[in-house]
Amino acid sequence: MPIGPFGIDPTIWAVLRLVIAVGLAVFLVLNGALAQIFLERKIQAVMQDRIGPYHTGPFGLLQTFADAIKLLSKEDIRAKLTDAPFFLAAPAIVFSPMLASFVVLPFGPDFVGANLNVGLLYLTTLGSMTVLGVVIAGWASNNKYSLMGGLRSAGQLISYEVPQILGLVTVVLYVGSLSMVDITNSQPGLLVNVLILPFAFVTYLIAALAETNRNPFDLPEAESELVAGFLTEYSGMRWAVFFLSEYGEVTVVSAIMATLWFGGWHGPGVDAVPILGVLWFTLKTYAFVLLFMWIRATLPRLRIDQLMGFCWKVLIPLALLNILASAVIILVFADPRLPLAVTNWLLVAGLIIGLPFTQRRRLLRFRSRTRDSVGLRDARSGLSP
Amino acid sequence: MFDFLEPFFFGLFALGIIGAGAAVVTLRRITAQALLMALTFACMAGMFLLLGAETIALFQVLIYVGAITILILFGVMFTKVDDRGYGLFFQQQTPWAAAVVLVIALPVAFLALSFHDPITPSAKGGDLIPLAASLFTDYSFPFEVASVLLLAALVGAIVLVKRDDQ
Repeated sequence: MPIGPFGIDPTIWAVLRLVIAVGLAVFLVLNGALAQIFLERKIQAVMQDRIGPYHTGPFGLLQTFADAIKLLSKEDIRAKLTDAPFFLAAPAIVFSPMLASFVVLPFGPDFVGANLNVGLLYLTTLGSMTVLGVVIAGWASNNKYSLMGGLRSAGQLISYEVPQILGLVTVVLYVGSLSMVDITNSQPGLLVNVLILPFAFVTYLIAALAETNRNPFDLPEAESELVAGFLTEYSGMRWAVFFLSEYGEVTVVSAIMATLWFGGWHGPGVDAVPILGVLWFTLKTYAFVLLFMWIRATLPRLRIDQLMGFCWKVLIPLALLNILASAVIILVFADPRLPLAVTNWLLVAGLIIGLPFTQRRRLLRFRSRTRDSVGLRDARSGLSP
Repeated sequence: MFDFLEPFFFGLFALGIIGAGAAVVTLRRITAQALLMALTFACMAGMFLLLGAETIALFQVLIYVGAITILILFGVMFTKVDDRGYGLFFQQQTPWAAAVVLVIALPVAFLALSFHDPITPSAKGGDLIPLAASLFTDYSFPFEVASVLLLAALVGAIVLVKRDDQ
């Protein structure tokens, strides 16, 4: 009989490994959410020149625990005219794909739940299933603000899935594998993928912000316009499950970015002490989590037409151009690194320089149109300007 | 040791496909139909997994559960729910429907029963590379035709919804 790790039969070990991975994922999601909520409050407080939570525990560390207990013990409120089975199922539909994503994340060398050879595709697929839950939640709430939130999120999430996947495709073309472990192994040194493929990274970062409903793309929630959108009718633990999944998704996309573009668990000292890889991976992932919080504290929310226009008219064409250029370069050059880097950095520069120009033109056009219509109205009502 | 798992999951997925598929047709509540359709697609993906085609399984979920079901729900949300609709429309059609089903179902059943080629799970490396190779060599023409069709649909949709005042 073959003996696997720890003297356990390999067939049982395969199952046991998955159970351990899922258990760890639950642990990570719950604790990650607690940590992230605390960090978010403190960071936003610093950026807005406030103190943030400080009463409960040292530095307010226990505030999130108190909130979690409050949410758990809250009365389970369900409005009479909601569509009961769907209303109850929606949080689970959002939560479970996010939880399943953790199985393929490479936390360290030999520290991964399942090394699927289509790992990246698996992550994308699970990410796309979230939409279903959000739309169902919006519909089942039987509330027009929720419905609007659900509709917006269907449009937004499906649209931004396209640039998100296109951003990943360039990396897959360059590395030649869909496995998260292979992608990590392909960038052992200082030359991580972000130096070679920065435009794919920018595309993915923007699309990931939209996919996780974070500012400036939090239109499905949009507290000030839609009274929290699809979340309006939810309260207590069901509401908390939606937010757990949001924080979990932020962790997942951050982990994808850390793995694909920043070398995953690679870092100083990993070859000697493999467990250090987990530390590096966590640090890199949380760097992106913090970046998301920084963006949230800095940028205002977009309007829905700007959001869709930016996706379909700017992001997707440029990402397609990037894929075409990258594919040609990888076919033509034996060592495609330098030409790939040149095209990608040029595209990034083009995006950064080009955006203000197009926005300025749009603004001017918009102003002239408003002026015309105001003039017309004044002329009709007999007022002279 | 785990030999019973494969037939068990096959039965589970088969039940899921047939049961949820039948429920999609017979139920009246359109949100339930959409969700059950998602379940049918997910069970189909499970079938592909059992056949060792994990890439196709994932694409099945990505496209059918993640996109097409959502589009249908999106359509449902813009449609006014009406209680009478369906009954009147389908009342007269039972014999015709039965005839059409027979014409399609008999060859399918015949083909399925005469099919004895055992499935060999793909070698290490999965089905990704064989799939890509066949898609871009043997089936590249149908692939291109499908993409042109989708592009035409995209352009058509934009033309349809374009406002006149712009």
